[in-house]
Amino acid sequence: MTTQPAAVVRSTRRRPPATLLVGAALVLLVVLAALVSFIWTPYNPEQAFPADRLQGSSAAHLMGTDRYGRDVFSGILYGARITLLVGLVAVGIALLVGTPLGILAGMRGGAVEEVSMRAADILLAFPALLVAIMFGAVFGASTTTAMLAIGIGSIPGFARVARSGTLQVMSTEYVLAAKASSQSAFRIARRHVLPNIAGMVVVQCSVSFAIAVLAEAALSFLGLGTPPPVPSWGRMLQESQQFLGTYPMLAVWPGLAIAVAVLGFNLLGDGLRDKFDPKLNGGR
Amino acid sequence: MEMKFRFDEGALMRRSSKKFSLAAAVLAGALSLTACNAGAGSTASGEAAKDSVTVALTGEPVNLDFTTTAGAAIPQALMSNVYEGLVEIDQEGNIQPLLAESWELSEDRKTYTFKLREGATFSNGEPFTAEDVKFSIERVQSDEWVSSLKSKMDVVDSVNVLSDTEVEVVLKQPSNAWLFDMGTLVGAMFDPSGVEDLANTAIGTGPYTIEAWNRGQSIELAARDDYWGEAPGVETATLRYFADAVATTNALQSGDVDVVYNMQAPELLSSFEGDDKYQVLEGTSNGEIVLSMNNQEAPFDDVRVRQAVMHAIDRQAVVDTAWNGYGTVVGGPVPPTDPYYEDLNDVYPYDPAKARELLKEAGAENLDITFTVPTRPYATAVSEIVVSQLAEVGINAKIESAEFPAVWLDQVFTKHDYQMSVVLAVESRDVLAMFNNPDYYLGYDNSKIKDAAAEADAADEAGYAEGMKDVVRTIVDDAAANTLFIFPNIVVADANVTGIPANSVTEALDLTNIGWK
Repeated sequence: MTTQPAAVVRSTRRRPPATLLVGAALVLLVVLAALVSFIWTPYNPEQAFPADRLQGSSAAHLMGTDRYGRDVFSGILYGARITLLVGLVAVGIALLVGTPLGILAGMRGGAVEEVSMRAADILLAFPALLVAIMFGAVFGASTTTAMLAIGIGSIPGFARVARSGTLQVMSTEYVLAAKASSQSAFRIARRHVLPNIAGMVVVQCSVSFAIAVLAEAALSFLGLGTPPPVPSWGRMLQESQQFLGTYPMLAVWPGLAIAVAVLGFNLLGDGLRDKFDPKLNGGR
Repeated sequence: MEMKFRFDEGALMRRSSKKFSLAAAVLAGALSLTACNAGAGSTASGEAAKDSVTVALTGEPVNLDFTTTAGAAIPQALMSNVYEGLVEIDQEGNIQPLLAESWELSEDRKTYTFKLREGATFSNGEPFTAEDVKFSIERVQSDEWVSSLKSKMDVVDSVNVLSDTEVEVVLKQPSNAWLFDMGTLVGAMFDPSGVEDLANTAIGTGPYTIEAWNRGQSIELAARDDYWGEAPGVETATLRYFADAVATTNALQSGDVDVVYNMQAPELLSSFEGDDKYQVLEGTSNGEIVLSMNNQEAPFDDVRVRQAVMHAIDRQAVVDTAWNGYGTVVGGPVPPTDPYYEDLNDVYPYDPAKARELLKEAGAENLDITFTVPTRPYATAVSEIVVSQLAEVGINAKIESAEFPAVWLDQVFTKHDYQMSVVLAVESRDVLAMFNNPDYYLGYDNSKIKDAAAEADAADEAGYAEGMKDVVRTIVDDAAANTLFIFPNIVVADANVTGIPANSVTEALDLTNIGWK
């Protein structure tokens, strides 16, 4: 019965679930777009060619051009970079702050737990988007403030997941044994707790990433995210708003890109959850 | 137990993320819905004569006091409606009598004698008399007024009350501009007992009073029953303020508003043109979209850098991309309706090579600047094309958005803390207000034009136009600011609304004649 700490994670050998595959494919698509944008975009996404404005899809402009004659496809490629950057940094902040906090709360209990979890509750009471809007108003709209705000807004989710996972691990026999052999708390956290909650945290990462992508788009849509002229999907959507009646494709492309990214990370999260979840694996 | 607990966490997490994406989907759906419901709001027109009209505007006043606060939203709402002057400027830009029935100009062109209208009263019940004229003009000259426009009254030497209905204004020297200015906000007539709280209450002789001001939403104007002139066609006129242009046309389509005045999204016009439920008026305005450069701060204290910006920007392309081709490219800070207008497009043709050369000469290659953009539709639309064109000549402009009006007015207009900005300058005949004042936010050194401007103003009418043309040419040669285009005044309204002033000749949105068919 004394399972190895990491055994839970490696338990399945079956084919990965479809959601995981589809999710991973969509995420890969976004990552690929971002990587490609570093070495090549058809046009400079910020450069306007007024003579070529508002063109439909063609060989020269795969997704057409916007009101300034900027190539939409280039903007979408470059926008993937912004999207991933915001997601990575925001999730990174939440992960690095939220997880240790959650583990600490789970292991120590008592006052530490009360204070940190109530703080997380307070933060959770404010929608992440509201926090981000406040940040934007105070520190000025920029990609950095958007990343920070979304990151801070995502901390409670990580803290709660890490705490609940920790609580559960702390009552297992191997942890009790480790405690009995007077190993340090840090060693227990590193050797026993962290590997066991890693799966849950990875799932949380993926789900938070999807939320971060959406939040960045929403902030940019409201003019509180990435400032122009750097292409961001949310702002491209906002700029195409008044062309909905005349050039609907202008809104469709960034909308599609956002949908692909959000769906991708959500499916990936669901897929990973299914994979890591011992209960869903049936009797193993 | 604990196993279960863990699942609850997971489920909670999962649910909330789904909820989030659901909310986003609903939001996106709502957005596209509102954009697609053209024609849904056709119910209002069939009813019996309506006694109210709602006008959609973008850009709300900060307060109600244009004597101390800049920004066009205040006089737009108040002039002609709440406050009136001795004269008014009609839709063609001509001076017409208002509170003065008639006036005479002396031989030496320095003394105006006004005969005032009898029976006009302020909305607080006080009669309008010659004393009020003296009070109002002298108040502009006093420290009570801090608007940059107050200098328009500097030319007045004295105001003499001859009788209750006769007043004489003596100028220091003949002035062509002065009587015109009396039809704008500096000529507004105040009652001495009605100026204590101008920021919140407005007491004038006009056809309306302010019934309610719901900050952030609307100003309700109620028609006065003791107005001296002909009563307006409606009992109440509501000015509703919207944050963005798309919302104004959506509100028109849903029937929430009857008129969208000075419409800020020309791209949306195509859905109204050809629909007989609506009327589209394309009027002129005297607003210039000015790409301003801080003349007193590096790098734009160097005339060559400013000239480089003039050559770097294809102004026609700016109008075409940012404003769907609506607007007039004139090349100078003077709209075609002014008597001293001339086409100055040839002075700085679009020439990126020349721009690069000038920058090189000035030692300003690969220039990094901050471009402070007010949060108005025209400004954000213009800023992106400007940034792209500046980049092509090696000027890297970083956009920083400034909330308009409050932040922009404070940071750029008042504290001059900016390098480049863009704004719609709407004051009528404002070229001297903008450039003949080194303390104005543009910071243009007016030593070259000061005397010429004074001379032109004192000359006869022909000499005025010629002299002012010279002044304007000097300003343009110095590249004091880049006038991108003259703003159109686009009005979209319910087809049954009458008496909408299509042209925006002064700052005022005159609702005196508005009504229903």
